[in-house]
Amino acid sequence: MNEQRRQILQMLADGKITADEAEKLIDALGREQPESAPRTRPKYLRVLVNAEDPGSEGPTRINVRVPLQLLRAGVRLTSLVPAKALTKANAELARSGVPIDLTELKPQHIEDLIEHLDELTVDVDDPGAKVQVFCE
Amino acid sequence: MIPQLVTVRTRRRDGRRLRLFIPVLPVVLLLSPLLLLAVLGGLIACLIFEVNAVGALRGAGRMVWALPGSQFEIEDGHIAVLISVR
Repeated sequence: MNEQRRQILQMLADGKITADEAEKLIDALGREQPESAPRTRPKYLRVLVNAEDPGSEGPTRINVRVPLQLLRAGVRLTSLVPAKALTKANAELARSGVPIDLTELKPQHIEDLIEHLDELTVDVDDPGAKVQVFCE
Repeated sequence: MIPQLVTVRTRRRDGRRLRLFIPVLPVVLLLSPLLLLAVLGGLIACLIFEVNAVGALRGAGRMVWALPGSQFEIEDGHIAVLISVR
């Protein structure tokens, strides 16, 4: 409870103002104070890799920034894959020992996955390499 | 918003650097006859492979619209490549 609201309630308790007046004052306070700004959503997926290879000429550095909107657009394209192609892919996957049914993977599921990427953080710390995946 | 500027920077092993600033809209206008052919080819491919052509066009448009902000930077020893879309 903020200080101004407390003062209004105190004035009401002291009998200095009526309940109606207190209500009006509290309403006016609510109008004055804008609602707190919504939490900004991450816009980009970042992948950072720093690796030291003793055999190479220098360190390897990878810095990739992909807009999450681009991932969403790409995911929506999967809905265009014809059912015939998915059936063939399923058969090939099953033959390779990966029994995944791609027809069960709906675009909505992948979209939900991307929606929840916001909180994703992957940190791999190795003596020779450091990998970071996060959203910003 | 469609991409406006693509920046390509490279650094070769001998230290030579190359910087390219590609304004997307003029290049697209310049290559529009070829793009038209590519779109037609894509539409024919959609018909052959039984893919929803309107959906494919819309999806491709969404991807192009979402490109600004992308950045790929790879550095390996003395060699480096940076591609940035704004």
